[in-house]
Amino acid sequence: MAHQAHAYHMVDPSPWPLTGAIAALLMTSGLAIWFHFHSTTLMTLGLILLLLTMYQWWRDIIREGTFQGHHTPPVQKGLRYGMILFITSEVFFFLGFFWAFYHSSLAPTPELGGCWPPTGITPLDPFEVPLLNTAVLLASGVTVTWAHHSIMEGERKQAIQSLALTILLGLYFTALQAMEYYEAPFTIADGVYGSTFFVATGFHGLHVIIGSTFLAVCLLRQIQYHFTSEHHFGFEAAAWYWHFVDVVWLFLYVSIYWWGS
Amino acid sequence: MRLSLLILRQSRAKKEVTFSSVLVLVRLPEHSGLGEIITMFRHLRNLQQVSRRTLSSTARRQLENKVPVKQKMFQEDNGMPVHLKGGTTDALLYRATMALTVFGCGYVLYALIDAALPKKKA
Repeated sequence: MAHQAHAYHMVDPSPWPLTGAIAALLMTSGLAIWFHFHSTTLMTLGLILLLLTMYQWWRDIIREGTFQGHHTPPVQKGLRYGMILFITSEVFFFLGFFWAFYHSSLAPTPELGGCWPPTGITPLDPFEVPLLNTAVLLASGVTVTWAHHSIMEGERKQAIQSLALTILLGLYFTALQAMEYYEAPFTIADGVYGSTFFVATGFHGLHVIIGSTFLAVCLLRQIQYHFTSEHHFGFEAAAWYWHFVDVVWLFLYVSIYWWGS
Repeated sequence: MRLSLLILRQSRAKKEVTFSSVLVLVRLPEHSGLGEIITMFRHLRNLQQVSRRTLSSTARRQLENKVPVKQKMFQEDNGMPVHLKGGTTDALLYRATMALTVFGCGYVLYALIDAALPKKKA
C-alpha cells in the first residue's frame, strides 16, 4: 500500500482544520454576544464544536502514528520540534503575566498605599496550602518520570500505576486550588493585586487541567498497548508539558505567593 | 445503625487483578448477634469469590492487545481517508460535526449582522 519513496508523512485531506477555525469564530463571536446580549448559545455551540474537533483530530493522529506507522524518525523529529515550540510559546504567554505582576508590585502606586501587598489586602499564607500544592506538583514530577522509565523498561503495570498516580496528584492540586479560590479573602476585583493573582494562577490552573487531561489520554493509550519501549512520543510530549506546568507553578509560588506577601 | 469494619484477605493468584486485602464497611442489622455476623461474613466471602472470578475473566478480556487488529483495519487499501476509515461511527460523528459547523456559520453571520444593525426603540 505504501507508494512513497520518502520517510515523510503526506496527510490525508482532513475537515478538522476548517471545523476548528469555525469553532474559534463561534467562540469569540459568542463571547461578544454573551457580553452584550446575555445569550450563551453561540459560545456554547463553539465550545461543542471545539471539543468535537479536538477529539477527532487527535484520534486521527493516533491512527496515523500507532495504526498506520506514519510516525517515522524524521516525522517524530518534526513532532518533537513542534511540541517544544508550542511550549515555548506558552512560556511567553506566562511571561506577560509575570511582567504585569512585577510592573505593579515593584513600584506600587500611591493608590495602593505605596506598598505591596496593597493596603487592605490580606495575602494567603505561602506556608499553608500553597506549600502543599508545591509539594504535590513536585511529587507529580517524580511520578511522571517514574512512568517514563517504566514505559522504557517495558514495565507495563508500573507504568500504569505511576501514570495514574501522576494524574491523581494533578487532580488533588486542582481540588486544593479550587478550595483556596473559594476561601480567599480577596477577589479578582480587588485592584491590581486581585487581577494579577487570579489571572496568573487561573491560567496556570487551566494548564494543570489541560496537562492532567493529556496524561489521562496517555494512561488510556498505555492500557491499550499503544506505547512501545522505544516509541511513545505522545507520552513524552505530555510529560514535557507537565514539567512546564510544574516550573510555572514554582515561579508563581516564589514570585506571587512568597515574595508578593 | 451499627457499623462493622471487616478486613478480608485474599490470596494473590497469578494473572488476576486482585487486592491482597479488602477493607469493607458493613452495616449490621440492629440486635445482630455473633451467629448472624459469621453468616454475613460467609456470604461476603462467597460474593467476593464470585466477583473475583467474573472480574478476572472480564478483566483479562478487556486488557487484550487489540493494536494488531487496528493496524490491519487502518492499513487496508480501501481509499478511505483516515478520518472515516474507522467505520460508520466515524461517518456519523463527521456529519454531526459538519452540520454544527454549517449551522454555526449561518448563525454567527445572522447574530453579528443583527448586532450591527441599529434597533429603533418603540
